[in-house]
Amino acid sequence: MSNIIKTIDVTDSLENLKDVCDIENGRIAGKIFYDQAIYEQELEKIFARCWLFVAHESQIPDTGDYITTTMGEDEVIVIRQKDGGIKVFLNACPHRGNKVCFAESGTTRGFICNYHGWSFNVQGNLVGQHESGIYEASDFDKAKWGLKEVAQVDSWKGLVFATFDPEAPTLQEYLGPMTWYLDALFDNQEGGTEFVGGCIRSTYECNWKIAAENFVGDILHAGWTHDSAARAMLGGSVAKVSDFDESYSVNWNGHGYEFALDTVGNVAVLGESALNKYLHTIKPSVAERLGEFRSNMIGAVSSCTLFPNFSFLAGQNTVRVWQPRGPNKIELFTWVVVNKSAPQEIKEKWRKGAMMTFSPTGVFEMDDGENWEYCTKTAKGRVTAAQDLYIGLGMNTLQRDTSLPGNVYKGQLNEANARAYYQQWFDHLSTKRWSELPDRNIGKKEAE
Amino acid sequence: MSAQSENQTEQLYPVSLEQHHKVSCFLAYEYRLLDEECFDDWLALMHEDVHYWMPGIENRRRENLLEHGFYAGDHMAYFDDSLRDLGRRVARFKQPSAWAENPGTRNVHQVSNIEVYYGETDGEYVVHSVFQSVRSRGLDEEYVIYGRRKDVLVQQGGSFKIKKRLILIPSATLSCKNINTFL
Repeated sequence: MSNIIKTIDVTDSLENLKDVCDIENGRIAGKIFYDQAIYEQELEKIFARCWLFVAHESQIPDTGDYITTTMGEDEVIVIRQKDGGIKVFLNACPHRGNKVCFAESGTTRGFICNYHGWSFNVQGNLVGQHESGIYEASDFDKAKWGLKEVAQVDSWKGLVFATFDPEAPTLQEYLGPMTWYLDALFDNQEGGTEFVGGCIRSTYECNWKIAAENFVGDILHAGWTHDSAARAMLGGSVAKVSDFDESYSVNWNGHGYEFALDTVGNVAVLGESALNKYLHTIKPSVAERLGEFRSNMIGAVSSCTLFPNFSFLAGQNTVRVWQPRGPNKIELFTWVVVNKSAPQEIKEKWRKGAMMTFSPTGVFEMDDGENWEYCTKTAKGRVTAAQDLYIGLGMNTLQRDTSLPGNVYKGQLNEANARAYYQQWFDHLSTKRWSELPDRNIGKKEAE
Repeated sequence: MSAQSENQTEQLYPVSLEQHHKVSCFLAYEYRLLDEECFDDWLALMHEDVHYWMPGIENRRRENLLEHGFYAGDHMAYFDDSLRDLGRRVARFKQPSAWAENPGTRNVHQVSNIEVYYGETDGEYVVHSVFQSVRSRGLDEEYVIYGRRKDVLVQQGGSFKIKKRLILIPSATLSCKNINTFL
């Protein structure tokens, strides 16, 4: 236990944050996408404190299976334990800090540092060193020098999250009622989900929040930005969202899910009728499992971000993390998620469909990249970075009389989720610890 | 790259100088079509059963290699396309609403290290090559992708059709935001 990380010292908050993020008045400023000082604050006050997505359970089924990823800019190893649990370690040797695992995934009995031969087992314990005799002569206590272990690790329906902060609330509290909505994709069939093999990584010159915000609640861009892709894949334009009778934006703790109830609006853009058919086939069993409401969400026009940087699209089944690499650069990690119980040919169609639409070669994603990079780059100008950006759509759409859990807003053409997202960002940057964080949730904690 | 190469022990029979020249000219022509945005003409060079494949590259230890070393057939890919899929990609390029393509991307594709061998059946050729793709967008964006290819070409009339293309880049992380071209 002595190797568990204590949270880092938190510096004072920046002054005048409200000049660049004033959600009450529906405005933000481009400076939050470009400023180095703000980025440094994000690394310690958001990425070193929040629960971050690190793996899907299916990527590491057996003892010694591991993947490497990052939490913010900190490199970590996520590894399955003998007891079935999962541990997350800093991917850095406690001797001189060298990286101990250079592969992105694999199976191992431990890790040996290339520098001085410090050797660690699956539990992260230091079990040996090159020239071990000389350490004994220095009264060296091996037990104190294992790989540094991340404070908390937990999972929800196969999604594994970790936080560096021992004071962070439980994952269940952090996600709150969002889990009720997550189940529409991650628990709609017996056996749950799995990731397709591999991870596609690409590099954008954009701020991480621009991309995360796009998934938290910006379906507005789809009909315009993605017109060319929709015409290529469907031979026509994307579904006109303003025509839907019923759609929602729901948020909690800065997480947001926007969705319609059209069952197959998202999956349709993959241009594979077999996938639409699959969702229609399983829909009655989803209704039995989760109720009729959520059975309408399984591949509907929708998107979701869990604060701060984990996003997915139900239907396209793309899952991604926007890894921060400076104020104006990200590495995008993408995976494809499928139901474990789905027939092999259906999984295969999702693997290819996600690639065709939302990947570096995807016909949809190509137009997103341009937008996000230039939303970031224009903020290089001091005058431009200070100008007001409008974020006020749907100011009066809160649904007070609803049985749905979470903070529920009417309509998915709505910036309510984006506002909640930036408000959470502001609150984290304005406080030093979890206990000081204001609770701005107004909706129900559980479904009725 | 040894973990990526296949059939190292396979007996290969090189074609004649004249045939090698014809294949080289075909590959150069194919790339000029892309640089000049003649996407329909480029698509017409594909065999009806084409498999156009660019797998994702995974950074794995030698003792944990995949089906083909750094990549696998059932893992995520950049391209894993049939003719229908390639046609859909071309259709997007041609939409007036492909906002990110206006102003257009300026492309230079280069192919070299061309080796041409007889394939498994008459009129089929196995072609190894190395490529470089340079894209420039806007005033100052520039992206370079290098890689290795293995094609199977089929003789049709005086020219060829591309029946298989395997594209391997060395990078496990793509250093740019997209691949809005063909390689």
